[in-house]
Amino acid sequence: MAAVRSDPRRLGFVGAGRMAEAIAQGLIRAGKVEAQHVLASAPTDRNLCHFQLLPPKTRVLRVSPNLPCVVQEGAMVMARGVHTGNNEAKLLQNLLEACGQCEEVPEAYVDIHTALSGSGVAFVCTFSEALAEGAIKMGMPSSLAHRIAAQTLLGTAKMLQQEGQHPAQLRTDVLTPAGTTIYGLHALEQGGLRAATMSAVEAATYRAKELSKK
Amino acid sequence: MAAVRSDPRRLGFVGAGRMAEAIAQGLIRAGKVEAQHVLASAPTDRNLCHFQALGCQTTHSNQEVLQRCSVVIFATKPQVLPAVLAEVAPVVTAEHILVSVAAGVSLSTLEELLPPKTRVLRVSPNLPCVVQEGAMVMARGVHTGNNEAKLLQNLLEACGQCEEVPEAYVDIHTALSGSGVAFVCTFSEALAEGAIKMGMPSSLAHRIAAQTLLGTAKMLQQEGQHPAQLRTDVLTPAGTTIYGLHALEQGGLRAATMSAVEAATYRAKELSKK
Repeated sequence: MAAVRSDPRRLGFVGAGRMAEAIAQGLIRAGKVEAQHVLASAPTDRNLCHFQLLPPKTRVLRVSPNLPCVVQEGAMVMARGVHTGNNEAKLLQNLLEACGQCEEVPEAYVDIHTALSGSGVAFVCTFSEALAEGAIKMGMPSSLAHRIAAQTLLGTAKMLQQEGQHPAQLRTDVLTPAGTTIYGLHALEQGGLRAATMSAVEAATYRAKELSKK
Repeated sequence: MAAVRSDPRRLGFVGAGRMAEAIAQGLIRAGKVEAQHVLASAPTDRNLCHFQALGCQTTHSNQEVLQRCSVVIFATKPQVLPAVLAEVAPVVTAEHILVSVAAGVSLSTLEELLPPKTRVLRVSPNLPCVVQEGAMVMARGVHTGNNEAKLLQNLLEACGQCEEVPEAYVDIHTALSGSGVAFVCTFSEALAEGAIKMGMPSSLAHRIAAQTLLGTAKMLQQEGQHPAQLRTDVLTPAGTTIYGLHALEQGGLRAATMSAVEAATYRAKELSKK
């Protein structure tokens, strides 16, 4: 191998698209790295197995991030290659936690995460839009409806995280007998929301696995 | 009307259930009111123990709350509110600011049950007030002026976002945002279960689903984009997202969600006629 002349403070990006930018922004905003110490290039590569083209014993990791890294609320998972030890994994996890939540997982879960959390951003956008549009149909102005939909999403997600409840338990907590919520939930079930959502994650996962075979 | 002996710093709650507790907690955590200046009433101690645990004062007398507090939040179940208002009406004064968070109880109903010229407001809160990320709207009664409305809005902003709206929107908000919490829970569960079907362990899947919801919501708020625009931003041609979106549309997610908000709104309007 060539002798190492790299700067330990310097962070590099191979590939400079939206996701690279999101992570770089999160890291810089959190003070984990200075902008002048970031080096980026293009084009990109995808799977760990492609890194076989690198010299033997190269330490690699694979990360599935998502766009909310931009606002430092990303949901990320990372998987380590065979030569990557605990120190390197911890170093990367520590860096990435500037952009949101980051957990180490077996590589088998990474494609599922891409579907759930990467593509999941688009699924959540669709759901938020539909919530707002239900309210607009009922007579609420559009911008108010969108604001309230987004805040409802945020607040509910925060409760799930902070109170640590299973979503079904939190749902039960707001279920007044014969109240507005149970009428709404019935319509949700009749419309098959759960099946549609599960199918979306499934379809996106299969596509992720398909792409990784190419 | 009786002379006012209430303490302007003191905040009262009539009804001590989950919503009352959520608002009280939010206000205390944000430093808008001290726990010792909060007085809550309820028929039994079942819920009052939570207020006591926060350091608040409690009582079984609704009238005492009105006598000792100038701003009072009524958080009883909607069906008992008329009786409660009739009970406290004799001690209501022109100085009071009375706030109802009961779903489906209109401002005109509140005003009919209370002395003339009573200043009332109606608030539709939601449970995430507990974690200070509530989505609330408020509407003012005929005798409520800008100062009172601003006072309440300022208080409630300790618990999340609060906007003043015409009363016509309050029932819609109850559906979208109050019941909406349950709709979001269902959606979060379904996202996680899709991942579980694909082989992800349950607790990891639930954690990631919740964080994805949170992060996306934050982007919508901070970047100020229309959700359709943000959706387009993650749409790589022939990528994983567009495959997933097609399944979402085939499954009719949008229609189901709109129907949920619609059904909940109709129920809110139905309840407000009773």
